[in-house]
Amino acid sequence: MNIKTSHIVKTYKQKEVLHLEGQHGELFFESGQIHGIIGPNGSGKTTLMKIMAGLIAPSSGTVHYNDHPLCQDIFSQMTYSTHTPTLFSRSVYDNIAYPLKIRNYEKELLHQTVNQLLEEFEIKNIANQNARHLSGGESQKTALARALSFSPKVLFLDEPTANIDPKSIQLIETALKKRNRDQGLTIIIITHNLSQAFRICTHLTFLDQGICLFSDTPEKIMASTHPTIDEFISFNRF
Amino acid sequence: MDYILNGFVEAFRLIFSFDPEIIQIVLLSLFVSFSSTLYGTLIGVPLGILLGINNFRGKKVVSRLLYTFMSFPPVIIGLFTALFLARSGPFGQFQLMYTPTAMIIAQTILVTPVIMGIVFNHASTSGYEVVQTGKTLGAQGLDVLILLVLELKGVIMIALVTGFGRAISEVGAVMIVGGNIRGFTRVMTTFIAMNNNMGQYSVSIAMGLILMTISFITNSVLYHFIIGDQNEYQD
Ligand SMILES: Nc1ncnc2c1ncn2[C@@H]1O[C@H](COP(=O)(O)OP(=O)(O)O)[C@@H](O)[C@H]1O
Ligand SMILES: [Mg+2]
Repeated sequence: MNIKTSHIVKTYKQKEVLHLEGQHGELFFESGQIHGIIGPNGSGKTTLMKIMAGLIAPSSGTVHYNDHPLCQDIFSQMTYSTHTPTLFSRSVYDNIAYPLKIRNYEKELLHQTVNQLLEEFEIKNIANQNARHLSGGESQKTALARALSFSPKVLFLDEPTANIDPKSIQLIETALKKRNRDQGLTIIIITHNLSQAFRICTHLTFLDQGICLFSDTPEKIMASTHPTIDEFISFNRF
Repeated sequence: MDYILNGFVEAFRLIFSFDPEIIQIVLLSLFVSFSSTLYGTLIGVPLGILLGINNFRGKKVVSRLLYTFMSFPPVIIGLFTALFLARSGPFGQFQLMYTPTAMIIAQTILVTPVIMGIVFNHASTSGYEVVQTGKTLGAQGLDVLILLVLELKGVIMIALVTGFGRAISEVGAVMIVGGNIRGFTRVMTTFIAMNNNMGQYSVSIAMGLILMTISFITNSVLYHFIIGDQNEYQD
């Protein structure tokens, strides 16, 4: 699903936290790509993502999905997960099964789908554990498996690999790339990890103080001469 | 000091004599307070959830009003109910004054804000996150409500037991609208108050012990749920 934002402004109590006007007043998130949103803390990344995911309304500006405004049908093809996910107070298995249950999946198919995800994310050992009592990494993997269970068309991820061990990061990146390749899943991911952004993203958007400074391919950002971007990249390169 | 000790001895004798009048009083108390808790739950849980998860103008006022009503003195609620149910009041024609129904009505007014307040409080905080998450996973309409009730079930249990505890232990409201009529509207608390007035301490103590036992049992149930919530590990 193509997503286009036009002149988004978001104001919280008279403080403008997002102001997408001018050169990058329109942002285009092409279908089937993996889009990274990067930038310093408080630059408005989460706010932009929540607006695109239809979770909060912009103060002004519009978002279009394949040239249509948001509706329930579009909303239910997208999903959103963060590094501090809200898991339901039930087993890990039942958390992952939840989106399938409300979609009335047939029992056998549901079981098969959930089991595959448990195996893929290496969380089969905690399948029966209550999801409220998991470690950070386990929570994030459970939340991601749950978000992917119903095969959404668009996946929004807000720092999904923050505070996760390297092996799990690799596992998550592999899972994301696989779905992008095989199912054409459009992924929009906020990350603080620049090398991760270069590993998986096909397109990058850079925000700073609510303003978009860059939106293009990862190769091009390396050539950017904008001092803020330059500084950000040199600090995050290791 | 002797009368206290004698009171206790006499109290145990009374309890184990299974006096039909005492049994009837205990059963009526339980019936009235269970009923009002049930109605309070049916009104307070959905309303608390609905108000809690939605953001609207005046939400702060609602929350403040709820807290005020949660700690309203039972006598005032009894008085208020009596004004409406009295023969010359707006609902006088139903002749409910001095009946168990009147007591249930008064206690329902008493416990509904308690149940609603507790549910509202949690629905406003953790409920919002749950609703948002449910929606991003495709939940709509009734799915969201079911999800929320299941997620808040521990809180709902706590609200219910707290409401019941408030109902079973109050004396002001049932005294005013029930009138402590022997064999008809006399409940544990009005029985204790009356006997205490008449200097019959042993029966007061006996009923007091029964009331405390019931409170202990309800609180144990509550404790079980709270602890149960923390130990939800299944193997
Ligand atoms: N609900 C809110 N109320 C007030 N200010 C907010 C709210 N959400 C975010 N902000 C502010 O908006 C700015 C951008 O926040 P955010 O989008 O979370 O940034 P990022 O994700 O890039 O770190 C921050 O200054 C933050 O304090
Ligand atoms: Mg953020």
